[in-house]
Amino acid sequence: MLLRPGWRTLAVCAALAAEVRTQALASRHWAFVPPRQAPVPSVLGEPGLAPIDAFVRARLAAEGLAPSPAADRATLMRRVSLDLVGLPPHADEVLAFVADDSPDAYERLVERLLASPHHAERLALPWLDAARYADTNGFSIDGGRHAWLWRDWVIHAFQTNLPYDRFLVEQLAGDLLPDADDATRTATGFSRNAMITHEGGTIAAENLVNYGVDRTKTFGEAMLGLTLGCAQCHDHKFDPITQRDYYGLFAYFDQTSEPSHGGDGGVNAPPVANVKSVLVTGEEDALRARIADLQARLDAPDPGAIETWEGEQRRRLAARGTDLGLHRATPETIITPNTGSGFAIVDSRFAVVERPMSGLAFDVAMTLPETASPITGLRVVMHPSPDAPAAGWGWGGGKDGKKTFALTHLSLSAGPVRSDQVDLQSLLAIARVTASCWDETDDGRQRPEGVLDTLASTGWMPELAADGPVHLTVTFEAPLPFDARHLTAQLHFGRGGELTARRMEFFAITGADDGSELPPAIEALLRRGGDPDGTRRTAEEQRSVALYFARRAPAMADLRVDLANAQERLAVRTQSFPTMVMDVAAQARPTHVLHRGLYDAPRELVTAATPGALPPFPADAPANRLGLARWVTMPGHPLTARVAVNRVWQMLFGTGLVKTAADFGAQGEAPSHQDLLDWLAVDFVEHGWDLRRLLRQIVTSATYRQDSFASAEALARDPGNRLLARGARFRLPAELVRDQALATSGLLVPWIGGPSVNPYTPGDPWREISHFGSTGATAQSFVQDHGEKLWRRSLYTYWKRTLPPPDLALFDAPNRETSCVERAATNTPLQALVLLNDVTFVEAARAFAQRILHRDGDDRARLAWAFLEATSRTPGADEVDLLARALARERAAFAADPSAAARLLMHGESPRDEALPVIEHAAWAQIAATLLNLSETVMRS
Amino acid sequence: MTSVHGTFDRRAFFGGIAGSLGRVALASLLPGLSGCASSPREGASPSAQDRARRGPQFAPRARRVVCLFQSGGMSHVDLFCDKPAIRDHAGEELPPSVRGTQRVTGMTSGQASFPVVPPLEKGRRCGESGLWISDLLPHLQGVADDLCLLQSLHTEAINHDPGITLFNTGNQLPGYASMGSWISYGLGSENSDLPAFLALVSQGSGKNPGQPIFSRLWGNGFLPASHQGVGLRPGRNPVLFLDDPAGLSRAQRRAQLDDLAALNARHAERSGDPETIARIAAYELAFRMQTAVPELVDTRGESAWTLSSYGPDVQRPGSYAANCLLARRLLERGVRFVQLFHRGWDQHVALSRQLPNQCRDVDQASAALLRDLKQRGLLDDTLVVFATEFGRTTFSQGKLGDPSSGRDHHGRCFTIALAGGGVRGGVEYGATDDFAYNIVRDGVHVRDLHATLLHLLGLDHEALTFPFRGLDARLTGVEAARVVHEILV
Repeated sequence: MLLRPGWRTLAVCAALAAEVRTQALASRHWAFVPPRQAPVPSVLGEPGLAPIDAFVRARLAAEGLAPSPAADRATLMRRVSLDLVGLPPHADEVLAFVADDSPDAYERLVERLLASPHHAERLALPWLDAARYADTNGFSIDGGRHAWLWRDWVIHAFQTNLPYDRFLVEQLAGDLLPDADDATRTATGFSRNAMITHEGGTIAAENLVNYGVDRTKTFGEAMLGLTLGCAQCHDHKFDPITQRDYYGLFAYFDQTSEPSHGGDGGVNAPPVANVKSVLVTGEEDALRARIADLQARLDAPDPGAIETWEGEQRRRLAARGTDLGLHRATPETIITPNTGSGFAIVDSRFAVVERPMSGLAFDVAMTLPETASPITGLRVVMHPSPDAPAAGWGWGGGKDGKKTFALTHLSLSAGPVRSDQVDLQSLLAIARVTASCWDETDDGRQRPEGVLDTLASTGWMPELAADGPVHLTVTFEAPLPFDARHLTAQLHFGRGGELTARRMEFFAITGADDGSELPPAIEALLRRGGDPDGTRRTAEEQRSVALYFARRAPAMADLRVDLANAQERLAVRTQSFPTMVMDVAAQARPTHVLHRGLYDAPRELVTAATPGALPPFPADAPANRLGLARWVTMPGHPLTARVAVNRVWQMLFGTGLVKTAADFGAQGEAPSHQDLLDWLAVDFVEHGWDLRRLLRQIVTSATYRQDSFASAEALARDPGNRLLARGARFRLPAELVRDQALATSGLLVPWIGGPSVNPYTPGDPWREISHFGSTGATAQSFVQDHGEKLWRRSLYTYWKRTLPPPDLALFDAPNRETSCVERAATNTPLQALVLLNDVTFVEAARAFAQRILHRDGDDRARLAWAFLEATSRTPGADEVDLLARALARERAAFAADPSAAARLLMHGESPRDEALPVIEHAAWAQIAATLLNLSETVMRS
Repeated sequence: MTSVHGTFDRRAFFGGIAGSLGRVALASLLPGLSGCASSPREGASPSAQDRARRGPQFAPRARRVVCLFQSGGMSHVDLFCDKPAIRDHAGEELPPSVRGTQRVTGMTSGQASFPVVPPLEKGRRCGESGLWISDLLPHLQGVADDLCLLQSLHTEAINHDPGITLFNTGNQLPGYASMGSWISYGLGSENSDLPAFLALVSQGSGKNPGQPIFSRLWGNGFLPASHQGVGLRPGRNPVLFLDDPAGLSRAQRRAQLDDLAALNARHAERSGDPETIARIAAYELAFRMQTAVPELVDTRGESAWTLSSYGPDVQRPGSYAANCLLARRLLERGVRFVQLFHRGWDQHVALSRQLPNQCRDVDQASAALLRDLKQRGLLDDTLVVFATEFGRTTFSQGKLGDPSSGRDHHGRCFTIALAGGGVRGGVEYGATDDFAYNIVRDGVHVRDLHATLLHLLGLDHEALTFPFRGLDARLTGVEAARVVHEILV
């Protein structure tokens, strides 16, 4: 309801409120009365109905409506696969199921899906929303955190079908259980998913209140189905929750040792546990074998490839320094965000940092000299400081008194007008980076090209043994235009530890850089190897060239990525990592009622207690989170089981039996079938809070299996399908839209669990809104991952709260700042742009086309298969006709412009089967894109 | 947008598809479908009657809004306050009677001394109205007679995240809908080829990087995602995913959309699915956006005079000046709410260096936008909001006179400016004490500003509601809010 008089607002209804509350108590709002099973109705002419169907049909009969017939088997298979696993069935699976005429074929399918380890990923999705899981701290600077072990715990809980009551107990109070262990402690991360801050100016007491408020609210909405938030400031106007009740609940969550400020520098705010993932995937041996294989391939690179690379390196060495000119630039200004002093321009020549500083970026604006030939690059010279001991270049690290620096990122912009700060919108593209010397470690993290990415872990550090000035030279992709007389360099010394340079000088270069990416020893070997009269390399020398090639050559990059990913994956499976947990502070913290919810207006003291209008607290339960957990999972609790059953129903039907899944209170919507909800809730508890059993019960019901066809009359009668006279139809949740494209295209990497990943995102949207260059916080700049990490299921995508993944946010994924138990399912033009143009989907179309082309058969057979693969439906002849015409048209278009075909096929980093003809592949990629964009594909019906 | 709900709009639908599929064929699909095209899961699920009640509830004074948000806390003390006492007592302790017991942030709460800092520059009384504006803002001085200075804004927030979140969503804590989303929800769009609500971000040359900002500031919160502000970014891809993939021609894309429409229409017919029909329309709008947005951001057709009026920065994509020009182009195309964020106003340190830079960033372009709107006859029904999340302290953060010193956050009073859209020009409202530290008359809370803004758009802030968490949520929240009628024309 949109334009309703504001009678339900605080100002007007103070008097009304007390009355409503009294009424609510007196009349016992349905949701506060424990559910009881009404007798299963018998429906005339339909004996032996399962309870779900009996309740639904009795209601339909009363409304004079008839149920729909069962959906066809292909549709049903797609529906139940997407609902239970979150991935569509493949074409051959659909055909096999359709052909299977055994009476229990569907039941066996359901069992197979419930047994899939990926089933747990599907169930985890709504719980991650409810528990506001994210990978960043949320408030203010929104730095990174490590919380994925909790997500692993959730997946594991669903995989092992942990009883739902235990699922809640461990998350609320896993640290307090008599049999507490690492797994149950990990589960308490549920309460630590709250947003936190480390912003210095914020007030400690206020932060702690905010954290507790969020925990209380999340507990209320995710577990109790009550919007407790209202009672933070005043007695709830509609539900029997007083402000005192609210702070009684608040008190349960107010006893942790969590600090008011924390989470800076990518280090989890305490309390933290170092634990191993609870997931058991059994992939360790395969990973070890893969690592050994990748390592072997890196250890023995193809000699031909080495030779090609050596040739290229020699050409570069020969060309280096050609026509090099060095032209001193005149620095004009130097600024840094967090301080106004301690740096200066000296003699119009040097940019100087005058005292130790840590982790900051400096923007140096300079005027470029007039040059006869175009400026091709920039050289940054770091001078030893005359007054520094041992002639070091910087303010930190080093040894024996010699201090050094780490330049972790360099951004440049240039133009006709001077700008004090680098222009993020027009950064100069950099083709090469070299340095006069660097510390060539095995991991290569101190190499000069480390300044190209925004990671603090990589960046140029000179070899400490070097003497005198050291320099780094960047060569631009294209020479500067002649009118670009002003250049601004942002030099980020992001590693902390005062690893900041002291005295910097800048030169424009013309001609070719005289530096090399090669360490001197390798350079010498390459020079010798290229000289026919030179001494032959020893076997050891040859090995060091091969080793260098394996570690650094672009040709080996994919192998290196695969190896790093496999090694990380093995570590994730076998090692301990930090995760945030709950504990009990040594010193008990007093909880007060806060006047109007204000942290600085404490009133009377309260102790932990549950609301008076809800069932009494178990007499033998402790007055802490464990007691609260016991209370919320009492078999007779009026809310907990209903809320859980309703959320499962919502996942399977798009709308819950109670539409307002977060609000079972007086302002929530009444259930469409309270008898059914109550029957299921009681049955759920009586059978051990068994989620898998509940899922099985629902998806095998005739109600679930109905055809979703909606006649105009049916739509007019019941647009929201609340009476359940037909099957449910809704757009897939954001994550499933992407997961489906990955699955259909064959790109999906089915690894379960582990740290979050950063798949394709346009540009660096984080840096545009973050505190990059001003803070030690992580997650300030987006760095895309490679290899397997690009194609993981979307529940593993890194969730930055202040800027969640844009493609998923456009499909209604919440930002996870607060608990969310109901997502919208909108339908917008921006979603069309994602599916048509996002590289994720363009690549998926290319890979899907490749799968199609790898199948035998003529065009029509391939089209029919592809249609079935994408939609789980065999297309009609008219649809194949249309696609065949489209295919012919695309072939003609790309034949007229083969280079366009090649460009289309370059999207995404997955390898292409180069044996496939380009025009043919591109034409099919267009067909694949059309299929992935069909309304039918992004819906589940 | 397809409609104010982003689901289905009959006019946009026929406009877009007719050429591809034939009006008659599609029309035959529609009866019975159109009334419930809204997804059943969408929170609002308004009935047809509800939607018919969309739009202003009474005659609006403004049809569209541009909010020039100065992010970080713009110093009212330096820019808009003519307070002789501050100059007279420069360097002296701020009298404890003035400072009172109000809370200060963790950044200055440990200071032993709170010396008064005079404004950085002189200022003058401007125009016929005689509004006082700092010489740091010479161009805004020139449009003083169009400005309404609210001298008595106040907020409980004293830190950026809660402050900026309150200003933009009506609540200090995350989870609520932004101003632009509310207005998109309440009024929809007047342009069927562009979103109703766009957000543009620029980085200032004061504090760089400025305080972080958050997508929640233009987020839909609990409203349907179709009311999300769409980021308009500088460069070749102004809206994310706008460009067709390289290698694909427009003709190919057009043909592909025709294929999709035909296949989807067939499916809609067989399945009785209204959402599929709505999806055809959404794809058509996406196609039109692909033309409309590049045309929008292509400013080559602007006259040299217009370009120069916005200042040299207008040539730099992504600058505040460039965004101001884009704002005008959006507004004249009927976009409902344009939100600029200019970062870098957080002058805790080096105020003497940073503040002039910040002012230079925004002064000329803001004034030019006002004049440009006026000259095109748009200012009458466009509300311009020049605002910030809080002001800054009269006392010094850090040692007085130190180049590193600045001013801390001050939420107890601060200044914003309004113009156009039914607001009186050349007036000042509200008053603070001699030290610009406490309100002495006519305080305006941020929620009062929200109520006023909605009122100007013809919306009653108590009636523009959305059911959320057991309450009919509204932009102005649960506390009483007041329309500041005194400043209305």
